[in-house]
Formats: sequence, C-alpha cells, structure tokens
Amino acid sequence: MLVTLDEGNRIVSIEGDPENPATGGRVCLKGLSYARRVTYSDRLLRPLRRKAPGAGFEPVSWEAALGEIAERLKGLRDAHGPAAALYYEGSGSHGALGGLSMAFWRQFGGCTTTFGDLCWPAGLEATRLTYGANLHNHPKLTVQGRLILLWGHNPAETNVHQWRLILDAQAQGARVIVIDPRQTDSTDAADRHLQPRPGTDAALALGLARVIVDAGLHDAQFVEAHTHGFGEYRQRLAEFPLGRVASLTGIEPEEIRALALEYAGTKPALLIAGFGLQRHSRAGQTMRAVALLPALTGNVGIPGGGWQYANLASHCLRPLALPPEPAASRSIPVSQVALHLETLDAPPIRAAWIERGNPAVQNPAAHRLRGALARLDLVVVVDQFMTPTAGLAHFVLPAKTLFEEEDLVTAYWHPYLQWRARILPPPGEVRPESDIWRALCERFGYDTSYFPADRESYLRALLPDACGFTLDDLKERPLDLSGNGDVAFADRRFPTVSGKVEFASGEASATWGVDPVPDCAPLGEGAESPARRRFPLQLLSCKTRDRIHSQFGNLDWVRAVERPHVLDIHPDDARARGIEEGSRAAVWNERGRIELPVRVTPGIRPGVVHVLEGWCHEGDADVNALTAEGITDMNHGATFYECLVEVARA
Amino acid sequence: MSGAGFVLDLHRCVGCGACVLACRIENGRIETAAWRRVLPLNLRRHQAGPTYFLSVACHHCEEPACLKGCPSGAYEKRPDGVVVHHEERCLGCRYCEMTCPFATPTYDEAKGVMSKCHLCAHRVDAGRLPACVAACPTEALQYAASPEAQAGGATAFVPGFADPAGCRPVVRFLAPAGARRAELFRSLEEALKR
Repeated sequence: MLVTLDEGNRIVSIEGDPENPATGGRVCLKGLSYARRVTYSDRLLRPLRRKAPGAGFEPVSWEAALGEIAERLKGLRDAHGPAAALYYEGSGSHGALGGLSMAFWRQFGGCTTTFGDLCWPAGLEATRLTYGANLHNHPKLTVQGRLILLWGHNPAETNVHQWRLILDAQAQGARVIVIDPRQTDSTDAADRHLQPRPGTDAALALGLARVIVDAGLHDAQFVEAHTHGFGEYRQRLAEFPLGRVASLTGIEPEEIRALALEYAGTKPALLIAGFGLQRHSRAGQTMRAVALLPALTGNVGIPGGGWQYANLASHCLRPLALPPEPAASRSIPVSQVALHLETLDAPPIRAAWIERGNPAVQNPAAHRLRGALARLDLVVVVDQFMTPTAGLAHFVLPAKTLFEEEDLVTAYWHPYLQWRARILPPPGEVRPESDIWRALCERFGYDTSYFPADRESYLRALLPDACGFTLDDLKERPLDLSGNGDVAFADRRFPTVSGKVEFASGEASATWGVDPVPDCAPLGEGAESPARRRFPLQLLSCKTRDRIHSQFGNLDWVRAVERPHVLDIHPDDARARGIEEGSRAAVWNERGRIELPVRVTPGIRPGVVHVLEGWCHEGDADVNALTAEGITDMNHGATFYECLVEVARA
Repeated sequence: MSGAGFVLDLHRCVGCGACVLACRIENGRIETAAWRRVLPLNLRRHQAGPTYFLSVACHHCEEPACLKGCPSGAYEKRPDGVVVHHEERCLGCRYCEMTCPFATPTYDEAKGVMSKCHLCAHRVDAGRLPACVAACPTEALQYAASPEAQAGGATAFVPGFADPAGCRPVVRFLAPAGARRAELFRSLEEALKR
C-alpha cells in the first residue's frame, strides 16, 4: 500500500503497491477506508476511565490511568495470584510487535492467556497432517488453472484480489465451480453451483472420491509414488456410495457424479477451500477429506493446480526475545472465554486486558461473555474506537492505527512479508501498544530491555537467517523470504510423518483421537441431529467485503456502501412461518434471541438461514448471542456455523 | 467520436465500493455525498433475474442535460468529451439535479453549490487513470478515450440502466457471464426490450 500525505499530514491518496503481484497494485475497500478511519471523529485519542459502575467515561492522564491499573493488578495478583488476570489479544492491526505484551505479563508472574483461534485452526492442522505444511502455489499461478473449484469459499466478497485472478482464469476458459449452501457474488459468476447442507462437506468429498476411484480417474501413478494409506482410504470410500452421499448432502446424485467427473477430468484443477466449512465440531476430519482430492487426482505440485487453504510462507520471523514463561501461567480455549470467565477456579479470573479484539460481540456466546466481563474487578481495553467491548471497560486506552508504528506484517494467502512504515505520528495522546507495555514495565520496575530501543533495528533482527534479503530490500517491495518457490511441493517432498501425502494419518489419530482416515459423522447441531425437532434451521453467519469482522462498520463511508444486515431465509421456510419480505424476524435457540429485518431469498438453501457477522453498531443484531462455545475436533477452533435456530415473525 | 468515459464489466464488478472510496479520497469528498455510487441489482436473488452491480458516476453525456438545464453556464463539455462543472459559475439553483436523468450532480450544503465527477480530468490530463478505475480491485471499471468503440460486445443498454432523456450517456457495459447469470441476463434483457 502506498500512502501519500499532504503538508498537513492528511492522507491524499492510498494506492496499491504495483510491486505486489498478488494484489495487482490495487487496494480493497477496507484499505481505502483508512483515509477516513485514522482521523475519524469518534477515534479515541486519550485514555478514558469509567466514572462509576454503570456510568460513562471521563478523560484521564496516562500517568493516572497506568498508575491505577498497576495498583489494581498488583492487588489482584497478591490476593489471587497472577493467573487471575486474563490477557486477551485478537488479530486486528496485527504485526510482529504485538507479541511484546508478554514481556510484561511474564515478569508479572504469568497470567491467563487463550489458546486456539476463532478463525481457521482446524483447516491449518488438517492441511499440515495431509501435506506436512501450510503452503500453496503463488496466487499468480491461479490463472493457469483450467478448473477452479471454490469449496465453501466466496472470494468475490472475501478476497477480491484472489477473485481478480479467478476471473482472469475464467476469461481464459477455466471453469469456475462453487460449493456453497448460499448463492453469493461468487456463485453468481460461476459456471456451476452446488448447494449442500451445511456440515456435510466430508460426505460430499468422500462421495466425489468414490466416483473418481470407481471410474478409474484418480492419478494412480501419483497415488502410488507420493501418498500413504490409500488402501485404508479406499475402504472408507466403500462406505460412501452415491445414494448415501446424496441423501446426506441433499444434492442430486447426478450433480455429484458430474462434478466428480469434471474435476477429475480437468487438469490442472485448483481446489480452494474457505474457512467456513471448518467452523463446526467435525472441522478437521472434514478438511482432511476435502484436502485429499487434489492428491487423489494428481493435482499437487503443479502450476495451476493444487490445494489452497492458507499460505504460511511469510510466517518466517524469528521469535521475540522474551522472559521465560512462569509456572503460574495458564491458558483457556479462545472459543470458550465466556465459559471460563464464569467457571474457572483456583484462581477465578478477576481482571481482563483486551487488545486488538472485540470479544464482547465477536466470540461465541457473546452475550454471556459481556455479562461475565461486566462482573470483573478490572477490565482494560486498548482500541481505536469505543467498541461494545471497550464500553464494558474500567479503562479504555487509545490504540494506534497501522500507519502509526513500524512493524513487519505476515500474510495468509500470498507469500509476502511486508514492511509497514510509520508514516504518521500517533494522534492526540495515542501510544502504540508496545509503548504502553513498556510504560507498565517501568512502573512495575521490570526489565525493559525486551522492548526495542529502536524499532527498525529490532525488526531487522527478526528477519530469518540467511534469507538473502535485508530490511532495506523489504522497504522497497514485498518479499517471499521462504525460499519455497512459486509451486508448492514441486519436488513432491512432503514434511509429514511418512514423507508422503497422508490419506491415513497415525498422527491425526494420536494427537486428536480421530479416525486415521477422514470420516463423516453427524454434527451435534446439524442437518441430521435430533435437536432439529425444536430448532429446525441451520444458521450460518458469514462474512462479506465491507468488514474484517467487526472492524470498519462504524465509518460513514463504509455504512454508505455496505450490504444490508438482514436474516436471509428461503421462501419455503418463510411461508411456513408466515414471514414476509421486509418484516422483522425473531431468531432464537436455547442460548439467545435476536431480532432483525428479513430478506426472503430463493438464493439460500431451504433449511438454512444466514446473518452477516461483524455488525455491532447502532443497534445491530448480535448474531453471536446464538452461537455455541464448541471446539473443533482438531486444533482448538470455534464452531460458529454449528448452530440450530428457530425463526418467527417478531 | 463521443469522447472519454467509463466502461463497466458487469461480470467483474462485485459492487465492493472501492471505487466510491477512491473517488472520495482523490476528490476530497470527505464529509459530503460521494460522486460515485454502487447500485446493486437484485440482491434478494429473485430467480427471474440476475444479480449484478452498477457502479456509476457521471456519464459525460454527448447531449448533457445538466449543461442544457444550467442557467448560469456552469457546465462545459470539453473537446475530449469530459463534462466539467465550474464551481465559480454555479448559482446553487439545483436545476441540473432535476434535469440530469441519472441525478448525478450532488448539492454541497456547506458551499451552496453543485458538484460532480469530472472523470479525474486532472489525472487523465497527466496521463493517469481516473482514481476509481485505478483502485478497482477486480479491474471491472475501466476508462476509455472512446467507450462506444469498446470491443467485446460492450452495450449502452443493460437492465437497470437506460437513458430516458436521450442524453446519450458515454458509458458502456460488458454483460455478466457465468452459465446461469448469463442466461438470466439475456432473458431479462429480452423481456425489457419487448
């Protein structure tokens, strides 16, 4: 991103970096909105202190705020131990320096942190177990695909840069096929669209594989030379004849068969999976089943083909130098913060420090999380704006934006590490988080040598050894330091236990207690579960182009171009409930209830309803009042899309 | 030769609004109404028609109704086709808001004058693309020195866009593709032509 300032430090242009082939030198809506965001009228510019319980905020000096916070933290630690403090960090405004918070907490004697991730971890682990590493082809090779299969993925709304490349491929004759229970901007442009029941993707993947193997269309040579466990996998496929798969997924057998034959019959074929199909309790096994299709068809290690989920090639920085982890530290699953705030003992959580996140609306069971936060003795929130989470704090500390501190930024689609320059001084009394932590360390008399004397030298020292590039190179252009090359696994070497692509994984079984071969089991709250008798509709809460979760929705520029926040419901389901277009609906289950306007749309699969997540401004309905605090079968993810509800006219 | 204007590829446009924000930044439209708008067609995905987005600003018409309707001569059609509004000549009477069939000129309350897209003439004159075009993440929005000469089946009429006043807007559209959407588009187009 190239930002131009005028002499008054106002942003006069934001343009894409032409040196970045992944973006083609173009910036998305959210990037452009920073021209409004950094100087927006409700940006927090000074520390705030709650006047009294339940009352509003008053400005307070940094000196007074940090002094009071320090006293209260010391008191809590002395009374209950350091683990009575929860440190919660999200991934907003991310960069390498975010990790410096631990320089304070470890000297504090430890704290309670979170483990796992709300977003993508099951898919990461499934990919690692299957291929050995989360790497995929360079985005620019997308245009070489002859068939692009988007599975639970909607890049027209959630990765417009990738969408540009997919459209280029399509213009050159590639077929674009989408698997998604909803019609989306991506399915509209596609050549074929399948709408399975949510949560049945493993059955669909195994069913496709069965058709492919039965027809002899798998790449027997690749399978023989480069995979492990095909025999056991083949036995598993015997359990998935077309009729059963059709009945599980709700897709016609001919449609499944046609997709299988087209996918296996076209090379190179690129399979890109979204994060949505791993937001339920069987996520890991589902993603393993889907991830194996490129290996089965010999689409691995070739340009234009492959498996794309996430690319961690840029995640190559050396770890920060930090004090050792104290014994008193402990960690809770990030998808169960509400539960642990309510129930954790020895010691119970009495204080929370929250930065770069908005858990009071974005985490599962958010309404309970809000209640639990409100009962704590001390809540400190560091943010750029008064979010619903900040609104619950005793102290709100003003946070920097990405233009106000140097950092190194990693990616999860393209392979580039990027230098983020400091182009603006923090406005008002804003301090970068790393300065806040340093100031707190000073106040406690802790060692501050962990903090950068000079950020540039500090960041330079994080570059990997022998990468052949310097920080000055990185300032010129985004760089792939991984040395992996443009085609992932071009050498057919897979860093798995067997050294091959794993159809059967003993490691999966040993680590996560799942079947070594991907399988398909009904969800606790899915298309097949008994709970559907009371709550018959599957709720999805997907993403679109004008948010990164709850960020950006406060800006007038974004509000003026955003999508409507409505409940999408199929005409059949609406009719059965006497609901009409434009009326208000109540959506509820045993966990909560929300109300919002209805959009009756034939574009969604019957039995499925949808609300966009991330809307938390000006009375927006909070979809996470409905979601459950489940954990994925692998790698501690959240289960946002395993959520049954009932709907009625409000 | 009608002069310069926009070409919008309805298959590539995802209605993201990056063009709207890029225009705001480039032209200092910070607190005021945006010059460019994104009009979604059929977000409800009614099965009788396709879903697509019209990203529109000024169409720099061959017969500009704003120019004809302006009592103070604030509008000028440049030789290269760009329709420019001269703020210093504007009375703020808002007649152009009524005469333009696309309601393109917007009233600036603070200044008491109208304003509208000038095709980033300052950028084009310097050999650069208009800001909205340069920003478009999917390369759906394009600039052409002569949109009507655009190859690839560009059309002046698409459902959701028409020229009732005969201004001859200088904008062209490329039809949406994808098996199902292309078919829905064709049938809707036929129905509207009848």
